[in-house]
Amino acid sequence: MNTAPTQTHAVSVVGVSKKWGPISAFTDVSFDVPQGEVVALLGPSGAGKSTLLRCVNHLETISAGRIYVHGDLIGYRLGDQALYELSDVEISRQRQKIGMVFQHFNLFKHMTALQNVMSGPVHVLKKQKAEAASLALALLDKVGLKAKASAYPSELSGGQQQRVAIARALAMQPRVLLLDEPTSALDPELAQEVVETIRKLAEEGQTMLIATHDMGIARDVADRVIFMEGGRVAEDARSRDFFTAPKSDRAKQFLSRLLPAH
Amino acid sequence: MAMTQRHLASELPIVHRRRWGAWLLGAVALLAVVTIVHAGIRARIVNLGVFADYIFDPLIVMGAVNALMLGTLALFIATVIGFVAALMRVSGNPILVAISSTYVYLFRGTPMLIQLIFWFNAVPIMFPSITISLPFMAEPLVSTPTTSLVTPFLAALAGLSLAEGAYMSEIIRAGILAVDKGQRAAAAALGMTQRQVLTQVVIPQAGRIIIPAAGNQYIMLLKSSSLASAIGYLELLRVATDIYSSNFQVVELLAVAAFWYLVMTAFATAIQTVLEKVFPQR
Repeated sequence: MNTAPTQTHAVSVVGVSKKWGPISAFTDVSFDVPQGEVVALLGPSGAGKSTLLRCVNHLETISAGRIYVHGDLIGYRLGDQALYELSDVEISRQRQKIGMVFQHFNLFKHMTALQNVMSGPVHVLKKQKAEAASLALALLDKVGLKAKASAYPSELSGGQQQRVAIARALAMQPRVLLLDEPTSALDPELAQEVVETIRKLAEEGQTMLIATHDMGIARDVADRVIFMEGGRVAEDARSRDFFTAPKSDRAKQFLSRLLPAH
Repeated sequence: MAMTQRHLASELPIVHRRRWGAWLLGAVALLAVVTIVHAGIRARIVNLGVFADYIFDPLIVMGAVNALMLGTLALFIATVIGFVAALMRVSGNPILVAISSTYVYLFRGTPMLIQLIFWFNAVPIMFPSITISLPFMAEPLVSTPTTSLVTPFLAALAGLSLAEGAYMSEIIRAGILAVDKGQRAAAAALGMTQRQVLTQVVIPQAGRIIIPAAGNQYIMLLKSSSLASAIGYLELLRVATDIYSSNFQVVELLAVAAFWYLVMTAFATAIQTVLEKVFPQR
């Protein structure tokens, strides 16, 4: 295993760039996330927030830089001359400890809520079905959906689907949870129940990296805001400071458009 | 005044518009059907006694069983071939994509009948004998003339499976592409390997999507088994034609054959219905 100098950090992003051909998603992004911190990635659409999250568990490859999760170099092996991409099996092993929650939930449509939450422990960790089922039921209870265990995703509201998706990610006991616009596809009322679930996780000390447009999450749940604009980090501040006294002009503009009352 | 009128209106019965045009068209169509059936009965087109004599004739039943076996086996082999070809097609590797698309183009683009005749008649000419030898052995393990190896059944099975495999690969590819990308991303993010993503998520969902189309192909294959009559395989049509060429009861024997094809189609439809119930699309 490659050990980074920043071993104490849950996530270390070191000079990472992502390009699709000539188009640049983001350039030279660096930040460290200590264990237990909740970070909101803010910024206008197309700022590269979602792409950056998908790089952290290697759903997207990177063009430059390095990403470490708990000291493990993600997606690559450090060679003498270059970073060599890991094998499918090695990458999937790294992903086991990195949970992900998607904008459109992406629950497995052919499985019930319970089977969705069990799928990681059963198929990836090879746990016994009975053991996985009792863990899954406990997690569904935690997100307030024990009664919906045998419902299929198509029978659940968006907010319920997203809470099941969070339970599915938690079933792998991730050291880091990545949430990609977890409330963007929900109307405000349903978004609120998802925000409450995320807040509960934050209080339990779950390390989270959340790309979001939801000011409720960024201001009230997150400890810290990383504001991205045009593929670069424009501001990196404590959440309270960011909302009360933004330093960069970009962030000021962004906030004045979003929060006209303030 | 206005109040009373409104009050009264709520107690009146409501009469909906009748579709007179459709009923008129229906009457005309019914008349046409009755006329044709009547003409058929008057002309005694079918001798029902002969039909009844042959419907459970052992040869006919054997022909039907052979047709069912050939069509069903061909469907299974075609599904395996089609699955592999579909995976090659979506792999993104240019060599695999080219091989798969060429296969589909060739086998979907030529008539099935030509392909059957090709396997039965042309292959033994191209490769007169087949020899399998093991290394470090002087004598070959197997060495036989191809004609004795390529029976009408094997040629028909190869022809139908390979032709149908081309169609199935397109159906399966469409099924795989219909599975949302987010489903694969979610499975990968949980830590599933590419193989697990395929077996746990993509195949179960694509499988449900392709059931109706695959059922259609099964029915088509059962009927296409009649093409094997051209290379002497004793399936339903071949048996029926053999019988009527000696007793000249052409209409009755074709009707008997048609009856059994309808039974097979009903069987295939029943399987499809059960599968759609057991594995509903969610």
